[in-house]
Amino acid sequence: MSSDFYTSSILPYSGIIIKICRAYTDSQEDFEDYYQEVCLQIWRSKDRFRGDSKWSTWIYRLSLNICLTLIKKKKKNRQHHTSDYSLQDEKTEDSRAFSDESLNLLYDAIRRLSEIDRAVILLYLEEKPNKEIADIIGTTPNNIGVRVNRIKERLKKLLDGKVN
Amino acid sequence: MEKSIETIWKEGFLKNDALVAPKLNDLYNQKSIHIIDKFKRMFKINLNALVVFSFVFLVISFLGKIPVVGVLMFILFNVIVIVNKKLFKGLNKIDKNVSSYLYLKSFDDWMKEQISINIKMSRYIYPYVFLAMISGFWFSNNFQETLNRIFGNYEAYMLYGIPVFWVLGILFIVMLLAIFGGRIYKWDLNIVYGRILKKLDETLADMEELRAST
Repeated sequence: MSSDFYTSSILPYSGIIIKICRAYTDSQEDFEDYYQEVCLQIWRSKDRFRGDSKWSTWIYRLSLNICLTLIKKKKKNRQHHTSDYSLQDEKTEDSRAFSDESLNLLYDAIRRLSEIDRAVILLYLEEKPNKEIADIIGTTPNNIGVRVNRIKERLKKLLDGKVN
Repeated sequence: MEKSIETIWKEGFLKNDALVAPKLNDLYNQKSIHIIDKFKRMFKINLNALVVFSFVFLVISFLGKIPVVGVLMFILFNVIVIVNKKLFKGLNKIDKNVSSYLYLKSFDDWMKEQISINIKMSRYIYPYVFLAMISGFWFSNNFQETLNRIFGNYEAYMLYGIPVFWVLGILFIVMLLAIFGGRIYKWDLNIVYGRILKKLDETLADMEELRAST
């Protein structure tokens, strides 16, 4: 990947990628792998960007899709290697990635959501309008509105009493 | 009072350390090791499968009363395995203590040499397989009886006891197989290793672009 492209077109949006990758990984090692893979795929797909949306939205969409693909692959591999693996038993590790304890707890809670709900809440927290979230996820804005409320309730329960 | 998730999000990411991007460094190295290891695994499995298949084929040929085919194919399969195992030793000699680009490049060179040797061999292998099949059936009683039933009392020109049109037909097919043996091998190779070879080409192209731009 050319360093010019990384510095000018990816690094300014690295925050978005970091936030997404953190939500789909539970260890520093996985996070770094996902981050690198996302950057590599953005670089590889850059010619496919037609300018229909903002570059940042396109990065959002691509990062989410790549993370969802990687997490599916990871689950498939785990299922191959451990016969007694069950998705319900999946536990998120406490990665303590941030110095802000509340943010760590929020991420732990987000990782307990389904993959799509994680994407929805990340976009919501990034203050994307429901229409844009709906476009990225592939549903209707109304559905997003209802879903966001439900997810927020779930997160509230998961964080209950832990964050002041 | 409890903070809302929106506040936690905003305040959390205000801190400087929250959004530090990891360095992009080891990805290509990991990818090259992964590609080569995957190829090695597949190559080993395929060679072992060929050995097993040669024995199974041998047994089946005896049961099917076409032992000549079985023996000839058994010899062929095992020669292929021996040649490719020797080539495989060359792959293990590739120095891992070099950059990922050089590592992949050495692998690519090895792969090209291996393909070129196998293409040359294929010009003989496919005609050999065809002749093995023909001779196997020729010496089978069942096949002779079927031929007699089909052709009855038809008297053909004979060459060393074989009808001339047979000899010509066989020669024609053998020539075609010798000419197109290399292409058949490439087609075969593409079915088995196509995906991994494509990945290798893509990664090398990426790395070459990276080297050119820095």
